Amino acid sequence: MLGLLAATALSFLFFHLGHKNSANIALIYILALILIALNTTGYLYGILASLFCVSAVNVFFTYPFYKMDFSIAGYPITFVGMLAISLITSTTTTRIKKQKAILDERERKLAEAEKERIRANLLRAVSHDLRTPLTSIIGSSASYLEDQENLTQEEKIELIANINEDAHWLLNMVENLLTVTRIQNDSGLVIKSLEVVEEVVGEAITRVQKRHPKLTVHVSMPEDFLMIPMDATLIEQVLINLMENAFLHAQSKEPIDLIIENMDQEVVFRIRDHGIGLDEEQIPYIFEGKYSSEHTDSYRGIGIGLSICKTIITAHTGMICALNHEDGAEFSFALPKEKENEDDA
Amino acid sequence: MTPKFTILIIEDEKNIQTFVGKVLKKHDYKVLYADNGKEGLNLIHSQCPDIILLDLGLPDIDGNEVIKEVRTWSSIPIIVISARSAEKEKVSALDLGADDYLTKPFGTSELLARIRASLRHSNRLNTDSTLYIRSYRCGGLVLDFSKRLLTIDGEKVHLTPIEYKIVAYLAQNSGKVMTYASILSNVWGPYADDDNKILRVNMANIRRKLESDPAQPKYIFTEVGVGYRMKEDEFEG
Repeated sequence: MLGLLAATALSFLFFHLGHKNSANIALIYILALILIALNTTGYLYGILASLFCVSAVNVFFTYPFYKMDFSIAGYPITFVGMLAISLITSTTTTRIKKQKAILDERERKLAEAEKERIRANLLRAVSHDLRTPLTSIIGSSASYLEDQENLTQEEKIELIANINEDAHWLLNMVENLLTVTRIQNDSGLVIKSLEVVEEVVGEAITRVQKRHPKLTVHVSMPEDFLMIPMDATLIEQVLINLMENAFLHAQSKEPIDLIIENMDQEVVFRIRDHGIGLDEEQIPYIFEGKYSSEHTDSYRGIGIGLSICKTIITAHTGMICALNHEDGAEFSFALPKEKENEDDA
Repeated sequence: MTPKFTILIIEDEKNIQTFVGKVLKKHDYKVLYADNGKEGLNLIHSQCPDIILLDLGLPDIDGNEVIKEVRTWSSIPIIVISARSAEKEKVSALDLGADDYLTKPFGTSELLARIRASLRHSNRLNTDSTLYIRSYRCGGLVLDFSKRLLTIDGEKVHLTPIEYKIVAYLAQNSGKVMTYASILSNVWGPYADDDNKILRVNMANIRRKLESDPAQPKYIFTEVGVGYRMKEDEFEG
């Protein structure tokens, strides 16, 4: 609508400043028509606009001025021409818009399928992993209840200790899974807020030591006050999983090193152990949820924990990787600092 | 022998009721049970327990409603029991007037420590406890409120006035979690900015002065998303 008015105004200007040449006027109206067709959906606007243009040219810019006159020579041709232009442009734009919508839809579906796939994999892995400790809990408690008088005190304690250990393992697993639900469903991203790095690290260490009192960590980090955007609960979970893996699977008594480096664009966290290292062949698949080292009990494999770490770090648009150093394994992840957000805060 | 403290457990999960009840009875507390919020409120009105353990997810009314209702007439300490990874829930319960929270699942030692801390702080008005005159002591850290002096292993630590206020506030409430909002309004006054960044910067400085390893603190712990908790005072009484 605005376009038409603007075109009319412009035409008046040209008409009265110029040499009363209606050819330029027609050009301006054609331009307006194309623009209108491009910016609207469907044919209706295009047709209406071309009707308006034709009448406007007729009324304002052809003799007799300010009067409809259908008897001008060539007038029907002008009308048909304008109508054709507007129709063709409308068709093209409509088609392009439709195709774009189809493409968008397809992309969305693909992303959804990918998310669905991750979720299904996770569910499969989890239900498999959950069955083992549950079997052990049910078995141990049942034999305690049914067979109390025949069991020695030590046997009873052993059964209860097994139940306790398995329950803790289950809890750990459930906490891991719960964290995944915090990742936003539609965007696959997380709600971030600025967090102090040492506070998150501190709480993660406190919590992992509550579970494994013998675990020792040696932290080295820069003196500066570091605040980066993250979902603290999730990053804590990543730190806990990585430290716990290092403690349980490295087969080393030496303290774990946690090194924090402040880079230009990101903050890097490195968790190093001084143990047996990773199986080189497995490294490329380590975050896929399948890894389990032969040296450990099969169900205490570290698969799910690591794939959850990867999910969390990806949702933070960060990077995670695993490698072997001279005497052990190193897992490191990087979180972006997002300077522009920091300035607002 | 001092009379027993009465503890009311409002929790719809029977197994947890039994487990918590057993632990508390063994430690010489008198225990009352309520399966839902309404029953809980009735018991609070009729029995006036010394402390309330409140599960937030109750079948009939929202746990927060119970806190609101109780706080209209009483300052009985309330310890909220909630699931992990719900910081907002915790913060809103604390800001409504709950004293502390326990995260499910919790161990017995944690439960008893929280109850001790809350009972001690609730008694500050009606006992002649010298809590505010004697020093806070924990490990090598001593905070002398009358001299405004903080020492670690006998070494004097210099704190700025703001830093001292924060540490003193946490020490006076040692063992309890203090939310960002409560620390902000206590240290900077009621018109303090909502932005807790200034608090966290100060906290980072305090940590560098107090802790030998800021990432593995011994005295002041962070409860991410909620606030800070200073290690419980070692004074037993």
